[in-house]
Amino acid sequence: MSVAEQALRVFIVDDEPPARNRLRDLLHDCTDQLALEVVGEAGNGQEALDRLMETPADVVLLDIRMPQMDGIELAQHLQKLPKPPVIVFTTAYDDSAIKAFELHAIDYLLKPIRMGRLFEALNRARATVPVQTVVLRELLPEPRRNLSIHERGKIRLVPIEQVLYLRAEMKYITVRTVEREYLLEESLTDLEKEFTARFVRIHRNCLVAKDAISGFEKGGEDSSESAGWMVKLKGLNELLAISRRQQHIVKEFS
Amino acid sequence: MSKGRSINQNALPDALPNFRNLGVALRILLISNGLALLQALLQANAWADVPQRMMQIAALLTPILLSSLLLLWVAQPRLHRLSYWRGALAVNAVAVVMTLAIYAFGGDLYRPISGDDESFEVTRYALLGAMVCSILLLYFRLRTRGLSRALDDARLQVLRARIRPHFLFNTINAVLGIVRTRPDQAETALEDMADLFRMAMSSEQDLVTVGQEIRLTKQYVALEQLRMGNRLRVDWQIRDVPDDALIPPLLLQPLLENAVYHGIEQLTQGGCINIELCRSGDDLKLKVENPCPLRAEASHHGNKVALRNIRERLDLLFDVEARYQVESGKDFYRVEIVLPYIRERRVTREMSS
Repeated sequence: MSVAEQALRVFIVDDEPPARNRLRDLLHDCTDQLALEVVGEAGNGQEALDRLMETPADVVLLDIRMPQMDGIELAQHLQKLPKPPVIVFTTAYDDSAIKAFELHAIDYLLKPIRMGRLFEALNRARATVPVQTVVLRELLPEPRRNLSIHERGKIRLVPIEQVLYLRAEMKYITVRTVEREYLLEESLTDLEKEFTARFVRIHRNCLVAKDAISGFEKGGEDSSESAGWMVKLKGLNELLAISRRQQHIVKEFS
Repeated sequence: MSKGRSINQNALPDALPNFRNLGVALRILLISNGLALLQALLQANAWADVPQRMMQIAALLTPILLSSLLLLWVAQPRLHRLSYWRGALAVNAVAVVMTLAIYAFGGDLYRPISGDDESFEVTRYALLGAMVCSILLLYFRLRTRGLSRALDDARLQVLRARIRPHFLFNTINAVLGIVRTRPDQAETALEDMADLFRMAMSSEQDLVTVGQEIRLTKQYVALEQLRMGNRLRVDWQIRDVPDDALIPPLLLQPLLENAVYHGIEQLTQGGCINIELCRSGDDLKLKVENPCPLRAEASHHGNKVALRNIRERLDLLFDVEARYQVESGKDFYRVEIVLPYIRERRVTREMSS
């Protein structure tokens, strides 16, 4: 079977049941003219990610304003799927986001959604290249609430408030929570910029969550006068070295 | 001009102040005594002289003020049935008559500066009384004008806040979403929407009964529940509130809309909005509390517009007699409003006259 004849797999994400209803109705109306199949729906970001890992989709119709994790953050996590779906955002009203969408040629549908527009968007979807994560990040004025980690072919969300520290090691970042560590493929500089309100840099290769700092301790090995301070962490028996250039944070946080 | 059509005459640009309002009385006392101080400063020869002069003036002024205020308090309903200019004339007459009465019958204590020319003295006091009274009326007129402009702006903004595009488009989308499967529910939703928008777009500034406002707010909640299902729960606690108590229209509903937009909608599991309405003595208390997502910095930047509008309207309608309090906790948000308890009876009587 050729690609064009295969049914387009569509997935719906919206926190409001009637809005999902509406999309299902309209998608059903489209089936006369377009081969498509609704492969699933979800009421929040986590649910959507879980379902999409099991059942891949070609197009995700994604509501922007949702509790906990908004559509733009979810779109970023979806980019880590083996074959990222084409995202078509749906929104009732959001001036700033819409301007940005047009600027980056990201498809969106305004609620109340019309069948004509939906049909166009679906027709275009096959030819569309997935949105780049960088662009999505620009759209999101606030930092993400979760980091998405690749793990054995799955994507796992780690809430940012659980992260104690982020440390660059070789080509990965170690993400440390009280329970365990994860490996993340992102740049420490970008993470520092995004989460500047939450983390502080204590070393060239390490960012610590401000809330996780329980105290400071003088390390024994270093003989020089100014160096040797270590960060003590809440809930984790591990010390992190502060580099000489960042010694001033000892005063700021103790 | 529609005279006496509404009981919140303050909202009309050319209306006398409500002399039964505590704020109005306080303003009159403060300004009159301010003018007295000015006079004392003009007359005095030395600093030590000022308090004595002030005492002399106050001895005459205070009884005039208090008796005039009492008379105006009594005459308030009648005054408001007059046109503005007739009313102003009547108020002036009250002030002049009281001034002359205190001067004539008050004895020596109330004659601070005794001159020989009796007719000059009488004319002078009558003129002073009328002038102070006119200054006060002018002040109230300007104040009402200023606040009315704020009210017009506020109404526009309230309108926009009420027809928050987000609410309008999402609700239409939701109605479209159920129209095929549950057409009768869709019908009710559209009817509720029409009622809500009619009230929001109405230019009437009259007070409405608590019963009406509660009904409207419930219609609004029904619309939001259509979208959010059981994520939105509302607990009404109405104690000892007579149905004929009057409040400004759309006082409760915007508070609910804020609670939904900034609170419940942001929570995956939703939550319960607590609404409390109760009467205690001459006050009507209103409280709306909602849970919101846990945030380190308890800031609500988006909902300031609606809240500022409510505050401005309360200032205009009730001056110092209404109180307003916001408490923004880590995971909850609470607004409390206290207004004077007014009953419908007064309005209907005035409207029929």
